[in-house]
Amino acid sequence: MSQALTKYHALHEAVRSRRRKPEVPKGLDSLATKAVVKARNLRARPAWLMAQARLSDELSPTIRGLAEAALDEQIREVRDRFVRGREDDALVRRALALTREVARRATGEEPFLVQLKGALALYHGRIIEMLTGEGKTLTGSIAAPLIAWKHKHLHVLTVNDYLAARDAESRRPIYERCLLTVGAIQQEMDSAARFDVYAKHVIYGTPKQVTADYLRDQIRMGQLLSAWAGRQQLNQTGSGPLVPGLQACMVDEADAVLIDEGVVPLIIARSRQEDEMSEVYRTASALASKLDEGPDFKIDHVKRKAELKRRGEHRLEQMFDDLVSTGEPIWRATRRAEELVRQALIARYCYRHGQHYHIVDGRVVIVDEYTGRFLPDRSWEHGLHQSVEAKEDVTVTADRETLARMSFQRFFRSYPFLCGMTGTAADATSEMEKVYARPVVVVETNRPLIRVQMPMRAFRTSEAKWNAIVDSIAELHAAGRPMLVGTRSIAASEFLAERLSNRGLPHTVLNALHDQEEAGLIAEAGHGRGPGREPSITVATNMAGRGTDILLDDAAREAGGLHVILTELHGAKRVDRQFIGRAGRQGDPGSAQTFVSLEDELVLQHAKELRALALRLTKGEEISGVPIVNRLFREAQRRSEAHARRGREAVLRQDDWMEKYLPGA
Amino acid sequence: MAERPTFSPFWHRVRAMKPRLRPHVQITRQFYRGRRWHVVRDPSSNQFYRLNPIAHEFVGLFDGQRTIEEIWKIVLERHGDAAPTQGEAIQLITQLYNSNLLAADVAPETEQLLQRGRERTKQKATQQAIGIMYFKIRVFNPDKYLSWVEPLFRPVLNRWGFLAWLLFMIYCLGSVLPEWETLASGVDSVIAPANWGWLIVVFIVTKGIHETGHGVICKRYGGQVPEFGFMLLVLFPAPYVDASSAWALPSKWKRMAVGAGGMIFELAVAGAAALVWKSSADGSLVRQIAYNAMFTASLSTILFNANPLMRFDGYFILSDLLEVPNLMQRSMKMLQYLWKVHVYRLKNETPPTSSRSEATILVLYGIGAMCYRVFLFVSITLAVMGRLFALGLVLAIWTAGMWFVLPIGKFVHWLATGNNIADCRARVIAISLASFAIGGGFLGMIPFPDHRRASGVVESVEDPGVFFGTAGFVETAHVRIGDVVREGDPLVTCSNDQMVSRLAQLNAKISEARAVEQRALGNDRQAEAQIARESLHALDEQLVYLQERLEKLVVRAPRDGTVVGQDPELLVGRYVEQGSAACQVIDPDDLRIVALLDQREAAWPTALGSKNFKSEVRLLSRVQDALPAEIVSIQPLGRELPHASFSAQGGGQVETGQDEQSSMLAKDPQLKMYLRLSDAGEGEWLGLPGERAKLRFTLPDKPLLVQWLDRLHKLVQGKVNI
Repeated sequence: MSQALTKYHALHEAVRSRRRKPEVPKGLDSLATKAVVKARNLRARPAWLMAQARLSDELSPTIRGLAEAALDEQIREVRDRFVRGREDDALVRRALALTREVARRATGEEPFLVQLKGALALYHGRIIEMLTGEGKTLTGSIAAPLIAWKHKHLHVLTVNDYLAARDAESRRPIYERCLLTVGAIQQEMDSAARFDVYAKHVIYGTPKQVTADYLRDQIRMGQLLSAWAGRQQLNQTGSGPLVPGLQACMVDEADAVLIDEGVVPLIIARSRQEDEMSEVYRTASALASKLDEGPDFKIDHVKRKAELKRRGEHRLEQMFDDLVSTGEPIWRATRRAEELVRQALIARYCYRHGQHYHIVDGRVVIVDEYTGRFLPDRSWEHGLHQSVEAKEDVTVTADRETLARMSFQRFFRSYPFLCGMTGTAADATSEMEKVYARPVVVVETNRPLIRVQMPMRAFRTSEAKWNAIVDSIAELHAAGRPMLVGTRSIAASEFLAERLSNRGLPHTVLNALHDQEEAGLIAEAGHGRGPGREPSITVATNMAGRGTDILLDDAAREAGGLHVILTELHGAKRVDRQFIGRAGRQGDPGSAQTFVSLEDELVLQHAKELRALALRLTKGEEISGVPIVNRLFREAQRRSEAHARRGREAVLRQDDWMEKYLPGA
Repeated sequence: MAERPTFSPFWHRVRAMKPRLRPHVQITRQFYRGRRWHVVRDPSSNQFYRLNPIAHEFVGLFDGQRTIEEIWKIVLERHGDAAPTQGEAIQLITQLYNSNLLAADVAPETEQLLQRGRERTKQKATQQAIGIMYFKIRVFNPDKYLSWVEPLFRPVLNRWGFLAWLLFMIYCLGSVLPEWETLASGVDSVIAPANWGWLIVVFIVTKGIHETGHGVICKRYGGQVPEFGFMLLVLFPAPYVDASSAWALPSKWKRMAVGAGGMIFELAVAGAAALVWKSSADGSLVRQIAYNAMFTASLSTILFNANPLMRFDGYFILSDLLEVPNLMQRSMKMLQYLWKVHVYRLKNETPPTSSRSEATILVLYGIGAMCYRVFLFVSITLAVMGRLFALGLVLAIWTAGMWFVLPIGKFVHWLATGNNIADCRARVIAISLASFAIGGGFLGMIPFPDHRRASGVVESVEDPGVFFGTAGFVETAHVRIGDVVREGDPLVTCSNDQMVSRLAQLNAKISEARAVEQRALGNDRQAEAQIARESLHALDEQLVYLQERLEKLVVRAPRDGTVVGQDPELLVGRYVEQGSAACQVIDPDDLRIVALLDQREAAWPTALGSKNFKSEVRLLSRVQDALPAEIVSIQPLGRELPHASFSAQGGGQVETGQDEQSSMLAKDPQLKMYLRLSDAGEGEWLGLPGERAKLRFTLPDKPLLVQWLDRLHKLVQGKVNI
């Protein structure tokens, strides 16, 4: 009975969620939204939040003295009032003081005053910016009970399954003390297990998992518009929606989840077995290899487009004529055939092994540009994936057809309550406010930041850059500093590792190929010189940019702390800041330096004309500190960010258009 | 040319749909420029959608059984590359679906349906607001009325009827044209305020007949006319009917007939009115009404309805005649396309048509319509501003906002956020700024000739008239028109027999008196001699007087000059009274032109100094010659008119008081200036005194923008306290 009731409840909530149709405001409306966000921010402005945090802090001594039973009694009382929606500022302050005490007793970590402020900001639906290592997890875990009491279910979303499971476990004592159940969604769970987790109060997971479950629910519910209408189906099949609606969401690493993930909508697809196309893709790939870049076609690397020129079209037509005899009808339809060849060209010239994808067990696996992780269950759309497979000469999988799609932006906007934490939101404030209508609050650090930011070093060629990097590593290694070296792609990390081996520098590599060893490598990354051990050198992709903190040992701290080297600028400044943030956490010493060259992809793609200018105006291999060079890299990064932003806007616009005008669901 | 990717990321939304066209939807076949099109029409909402043959085939396969995916594959197999791509198919389905032409197996959400309705209402309201010059008010559904009227006309609604109509029009024209003079002179009486009441009545009746014409023909061909109402044309109510169901008629001639129906009916009324007018008695009420009817039915029809540059009947007729649907909208798109491709060098732009000839039509029409729009805007607002300044100003600002500011705003918005220029925005903005700068520079920097106009009258400093000093018969004319004479030269010689005989008589009397005197002296009769002497004296005086008068029988030139005016030769043999005009002798140096300038124009003649601008005169008798002139003197502002022909009553442009005393006093002070021809050649003179002249002053070259602002300023000046 209760199972059926839970299912009906889930259905009811799911239907309610889907009826909410968030649309992105346009034109004047968008300005109005921003104004409203700003106005709302006036009340819960940082100073007010700080004052509230202080008042809450004053309650602590009395609460600290409470006996266990009395604490439980108080928690129950406060929770009841939250559940009934009877909370006010005073009660929020008391509740926060209680959860703070719970956190202290359960985990031994006592949240600082600034963390109280952060928690309050979260409770008021803000995106908070806290520097790496300032205890975001703890802040979130004292705010989460309040939100979960009020909104019934709280989804806490983070970047990967490992973190979700770890946080759910480490925070469990706090939540259970607060009369809340907690669970984590993991990739390998079946739907029954998922259903149980979603029924809990606090659900940890990754946006991909939760969005996919929500989207699958949408497919399953079909055209259903009221829970009442769906109950029969529920009774017959017993399969209701997994996610009992979307009520509240707290996003860890909000910039990564809300902004970076927004580039690609989530797609649920299934293999289309009926058409056997693998031979076609192989042929197209072969044809593409016969064309010459320049006279036959032009590649736009930024937009990832191939444009055939007249000569190329001519040559292709002849090739198609030869192919007609094979009996394959596609080669008769010139447009479709050309499209296939264009796609093969894009696969050949715009997608690189070791950077955009990797071959794992004879399969093409996409590498996430922002996190550096594999995305094993994702594939490119409309035959591009097959084209890449044909190019790499692995088994061409069946084309997939979309069953449903949803942008992450739309998904997050469907939550009536949304808050988040991030290390670097300031760069994306405008987008957060426009797309999610969430203001950003900066939470100051508990202890001052003493990381040394060394000036960027720029080089004319990438060869010179790599030499300088290896020299720099060798030098600092000798000084006993542990080092984290960030590369943009798997291939680059392997390349650097090889160079380091040649120089006899001991190092470890952390990239998507070695992700099982992640936790161990990160735990080792902060070691300095000790008896029988060299200071650690960790070469990592962006994978190391988020997640577990790198803890320093005493030797490392004495030698000057962790030194972070960026071997290339990423397309978004945020990602760089995030990575650099690994050094100098919680008042630790540390330093960071960036190495760039005029042959970096970022510059080649986004600032060609400035690059030519810089090449003309400068002399010598090393061109650090020249104003035009600094300007060049800033501009390239700005353009790349703008390009990504436009991509996200397009995704969102298409999504809204689809919802508004397309029949079906 | 834009790429056509086969796949669309949204395909999953429509893939499994099993749609069918709604049962009441009608599809008709039409041919445009030799190409087949299918018009899908929803009679209940009067929504249209045009399909090309392949799209039609695609839609034709919608049977509620097959899924979109299956249908798409069928079409793909049949047509290969020509088949719609997924994106195009989605576009098609979306539009049909959102026009309520498509019933899908998915139950549409109530919310979505309501939303659609709201959006349509909003769109309509926006259109209304944009076209305040054509504001529509719906009144009633005329279908019942038309269903009753249509059968009455049915026997003549065919080609024979049309032929008869043509013949009738020719007959009417033939019978009215000979009386063109009377006809044209009546226009003033139509515009006179006393006639306004009748004019409005007649206007409403004729326009009602006009709309009935559309409606009847539309019904005749099976269309529906669901709406009758009034359109506020520049705030003047004009009736309209919604005959848009005729757009679905397969034959273009029938569509044109519906479009022309209003004019056909109205011109028939005009013809009948003309015949009535001709046969009715002068001054009767019937004649007045007939004239009004003829005037409104013919003139308004030809000026407004037939004009294809506005979206009235003529536009739709032209559109059908050329077989270019959506002429206005697509021609604007075409111009935009050309600009985008050739100036911005954008790729991936799709032209609104692929046919060369159609493109030419679109371009020509687009340019014409744009120029006309500017012309209409300027002329209407100026006209309204002249009468009702405040209303004109509001209308001007509103229309300028909707016609010019809104599109510019949209353009700027597109520049800032348009997605198709995302990767070349900087360039496009630079080009836009550059073209704006070039345009602005052209208007604001490059000087253009600046002309001002005024009207004047020729006058002579001295009275040029030559008059007969004595009555008599003209005997000989010594000069002809144009002869140059010196002072004292004889011009005309008259004879007066009476005076000659009186002279003889007088002479005889004098001889007699002398004889009497001699005799008396000889007889030494002093007293008698004294009397005779006195009488002689009186007679001598008479003689001198008579001789003087006889002398005046020869009219002599009073001054050096040229003979103008009436030809003396024409007077030969005629009896002339003393004091009547013989001819005129003018001294070219004495002729001048007096001109009036409005006080608002007073600034430049005084500020510039007469040396700094050129003046030209065109005499009404010789408009072909522009004679260079120079300003002799400028009189201060005054209200007295130098000549009656300046006043509005006298055919001029200066407003004066209406009554006797003030008819020569201008309402506003005027600047009076005198001009002379600057280099009159030999035998060249400046028309006749009293002749009207047009003056054109060429001021130093100024940029157009400065000139326009100056004029605008002057227009506003005096009406608003600035």
